[in-house]
Amino acid sequence: MSETADDKWGIAHVFSSFNNTLITITDLTGAETIVKSSGGTVVKQNRDEASPYAAMQMAETVAEEVKAAGIAGLHVRVRGPGGNGNKSPGPGAQATIRALARAGIEIGRIEDVTPIPHDGTRAPKNKRV
Amino acid sequence: MRIAVTGTPGTGKTTATEALADRGVDTPIIHLNDEIKSHDLWTERDVDRDSLVTDIEAVRSHLGEWDGVLESHLAHHFAADRVVVLRCGPAELESRLEARGDPPEKARENAESEALDVVLSEAVEEHGPEAVYEIDTTDRNPEAVADDIAAVIAGEREPSAGEVDFTEYLLP
Ligand SMILES: Nc1ncnc2c1ncn2[C@@H]1O[C@H](COP(=O)(O)OP(=O)(O)O)[C@@H](O)[C@H]1O
Ligand SMILES: [Mg+2]
Repeated sequence: MSETADDKWGIAHVFSSFNNTLITITDLTGAETIVKSSGGTVVKQNRDEASPYAAMQMAETVAEEVKAAGIAGLHVRVRGPGGNGNKSPGPGAQATIRALARAGIEIGRIEDVTPIPHDGTRAPKNKRV
Repeated sequence: MRIAVTGTPGTGKTTATEALADRGVDTPIIHLNDEIKSHDLWTERDVDRDSLVTDIEAVRSHLGEWDGVLESHLAHHFAADRVVVLRCGPAELESRLEARGDPPEKARENAESEALDVVLSEAVEEHGPEAVYEIDTTDRNPEAVADDIAAVIAGEREPSAGEVDFTEYLLP
């Protein structure tokens, strides 16, 4: 990867919990945080913080800061069950990715890296049988 | 009555349900993690997590017509009348697990699961919000948690979900 601003890449970490969405943008090593945003900063009502609307609003603001930092493309790592009874990865994550792409940011690999609770046992990946 | 007691590892399910048993309640308590290991109710090993991948169908037939308290971070994957979800602030959960002797990677992944409400979301998705009872154990002792579980069993508590927000743990 060259050092020119045009092909600088980063990682968008999208965390979607039961009632909140967080987006942080880091460099490719994950060590340096460039931008961070929380659902609580864009919606008034607590229960809306995990909504696709909140995620989209956040992603639009984040996209501007990402471009200002000279980042052209983002790999996306999604973590989380996706909020209020939604399927994984939640609509918050999908809204984020769409909004970043619409803002002209190139989207690279999208990975679901949701953590798995474990204690000597764990659930299978597809729990519903 | 079937009461599932679930929650991320480290939220204190085993400790709180043992406290209940010590009170001489006549509700049978099933510690599901032990059953999975002693009856080989699993399909493969997750080597990275040093964990057995549970065979949900095999557990279901092993349990049969169970009654009482089913205690495990997997308890919400089974049919139940009420589902108790124990919660704990991720930083405290991480130190509880490390104090219990768990490796740091295990403590970290479970703390991150707790911060993302993974178990709570699954419980609400599978059982609906009217069957879920969230109990925050952060800074509370096991006896107080056992009191809250007893209140759920007795029908003295209203359903609840999503009353905590632990996402701050995830911010750099
Ligand atoms: N309410 C509590 N407050 C502080 N520490 C606790 C509490 N409940 C349990 N612990 C401790 O935390 C660790 C995890 O508890 P445990 O009951 O094994 O959790 P779980 O069964 O949910 O994985 C144990 O070392 C236990 O002694
Ligand atoms: Mg236990």
